[in-house]
Amino acid sequence: MGLLEESLDDNVLTTKVDWLLNWARLNSIWPMTFGLACCAIEMMAVGAAHHDLDRFGAGAFRASPRQADLMIVAGTVNFKMGERVKRLYDQMPSPKYVIAMGACATGGGPYFKYGYTVMKGVDRIIPVDVYIAGCPPRPEALLEGLMKLQEKIKRTPVIRRPAHTL
Amino acid sequence: MSNSTSNTPEKEHKSSYRAEERRTLSSGEEEFFFDVKTSDMEVNMGPQHPATHGVMRVLIRCDGELVTGSQVHLGYLHRCAEKIGENVEWLQYLPYTDRYDYLAAMNNNLGYSMAVEALMPGLEIPRRAVLLRTINVELNRIASHLVAYGTYGLDIGAITPFLYAFREREWIQALFEKICGARLTYSYIRIGGVFNDAPPGWLKEVGHFCDVFEEKWKEYRDLLALNHIFIKRTAHVGVIPKDMAIDFGLTGPMLRGSGVDFDLRRDMPYMAYGEAYEAGAFKVPVGSGEKGELGDSWDRFYVRVEEMMESIKLVRWCLGVIEDGPIIGEIPKVIKVPAGEAYVGIENPRGELGHYVHSDGGKVAVRCRVRGPSFTNIAVVEELMPGTLLADSVAIIGSTDIVIGETDR
Amino acid sequence: MELQAIHDTLKAAGVAGLLGCDEPRPANKKEKDPGRAGMPFLLVDPAEIVPLLTACRDEPRLQFDLLIDLTASDPAADGDDLWVLIQLLSLKYRHRLAIKAHLPKSALSIASATAVYRAANWHERECSEMFGITFEGHPDPRKILLPDDWKGFPLRKDYEFPTEYHGISCE
Repeated sequence: MGLLEESLDDNVLTTKVDWLLNWARLNSIWPMTFGLACCAIEMMAVGAAHHDLDRFGAGAFRASPRQADLMIVAGTVNFKMGERVKRLYDQMPSPKYVIAMGACATGGGPYFKYGYTVMKGVDRIIPVDVYIAGCPPRPEALLEGLMKLQEKIKRTPVIRRPAHTL
Repeated sequence: MSNSTSNTPEKEHKSSYRAEERRTLSSGEEEFFFDVKTSDMEVNMGPQHPATHGVMRVLIRCDGELVTGSQVHLGYLHRCAEKIGENVEWLQYLPYTDRYDYLAAMNNNLGYSMAVEALMPGLEIPRRAVLLRTINVELNRIASHLVAYGTYGLDIGAITPFLYAFREREWIQALFEKICGARLTYSYIRIGGVFNDAPPGWLKEVGHFCDVFEEKWKEYRDLLALNHIFIKRTAHVGVIPKDMAIDFGLTGPMLRGSGVDFDLRRDMPYMAYGEAYEAGAFKVPVGSGEKGELGDSWDRFYVRVEEMMESIKLVRWCLGVIEDGPIIGEIPKVIKVPAGEAYVGIENPRGELGHYVHSDGGKVAVRCRVRGPSFTNIAVVEELMPGTLLADSVAIIGSTDIVIGETDR
Repeated sequence: MELQAIHDTLKAAGVAGLLGCDEPRPANKKEKDPGRAGMPFLLVDPAEIVPLLTACRDEPRLQFDLLIDLTASDPAADGDDLWVLIQLLSLKYRHRLAIKAHLPKSALSIASATAVYRAANWHERECSEMFGITFEGHPDPRKILLPDDWKGFPLRKDYEFPTEYHGISCE
């Protein structure tokens, strides 16, 4: 993930440029409207006025995956939907992030044992950055998950060589 | 996309130009193109879509903006609730009931508990439990209708009412959190009663909420329901005539919006509703076709808006008669339901939620069938959409107020 | 209206295939009968289901105009019957009717009720994909909730849970 890997060494200039690029990215993560089940209602509550998501810069929910940075998988993914999740993930342009919100997206949730058509966690088909526990997680938990994602973005190398991270 | 099938053949669209009507353009030339043949386009709406109220796919065949055919595809949230019911114990199934209609979880708990209690004739539910159940169910009805109100506005294009609706909803969710610890999936109404008594001050806060909400309700009604643009978007759209509503098995506000005066709470009463109706605590709002035609989307929407007010009146009545007492009947720790079968249907915010339970005397059900009202209600959309414009299809789907957890279970 | 009265009205209207009423009864220790709790059902012959439903809908004293539910049940893995369960509701008289038909597992076929109630359309689609029952004359017998290439009938008692689907593990 390092642009100009060979030419630029890790120095003050590249770290500052990286910091700037990451700062711009983490303060404007635009999620995709991807509420599947009950967690979607808590996601809507986060987007509403009481727990405001817009103050994190993440309030502009985009309907099209081509315009979104973040896919918050909120709800149970089953096999029929899983194919569409994969397709939507592929349609998102890089850099893209995924938050698995709730117990169902993390590991199958309450449908773990007898749900014959439930996928036991969305990370079986797409790579997940942050997992949020809860059934459904409180809006504050989703905000904490978003902040964790922002911390992860903060330490991502864009121009620097990837070995010099964390 | 995966194989899309339409059940009527593609129609050939012939242009309406005729050679005699060929016009002379301003440049002096004669029109060249006439007799243009176009074919209908198949467009996929969903499963990921901001206006399908969840993961539902509607395959639309349209001739430009005019919809000529539609097909609803479900199953994107099928979570095997009925199979789980056959494998977990009676009380363990209760959290799963929360999750099919996740906007009205109290109602689902109530439906399931009542179905199981129908198989236990000796079980008596204490009076305080009945009233607490009714208060919570009606508060949940208001919360659910607030989401319907807000998201319908969002679908039509009005973004502000959504934020206002969620303001009141946060208050209701805070009330629920005080009484049972959860904001969305409560598992509060259990077999035999309720599991937690109202903490001190809760009933007073509910009364305060009713007073405040009554003022806000007038604002909400004027902001969206009586808004000129909203009326223009929803009146005369998606008209369901009375006999069609009955033939399709619609229940709830979908049926009442078409002018059929039927509500399970009043006509086949359960819990405290019979007593409340005798005391004049609530009325049943029915669509009247005042802004458009009887049975259009505005009627269905307005029935929900009025139902919020009726729920407030019901909650007030319950607060007036509630007394101290036990909150759960005599049930053992591990419930073994006597052998038998029962079907109980209650009035969910979306229609009749029915549970059919079949027990063989053991700890686990033999069959637990859930009749979700949204499943039956959405079937009528395939009939309503052809002939409307594409923007109206969104208005029609929004007016059915479906929750996909309930259509797919 | 009580179930016995509904049964008699239907019989008087000339409906065939009525096999009796399955009423709840208390336990009887003397006859070693564990009893049956719950609600009464009308037992019918599956071959006569469409005339029966038409009579239920059209009879002036019954007028069951809403089809509330049409589903099936597999009561025992080693049994030889599946039950088809239908719930009807009358808006005018405010009564319900619960109908049960036994279908032998070897001949899982019953006439479709779509001609009588349009609500039956989707209920029958779900029933057929979950249990494998064929509804004769159904206008659109596709799968509705399960993926199109799902194998097996999930709600039967002898259903084996799959281990993988399209390469994704189900464990």
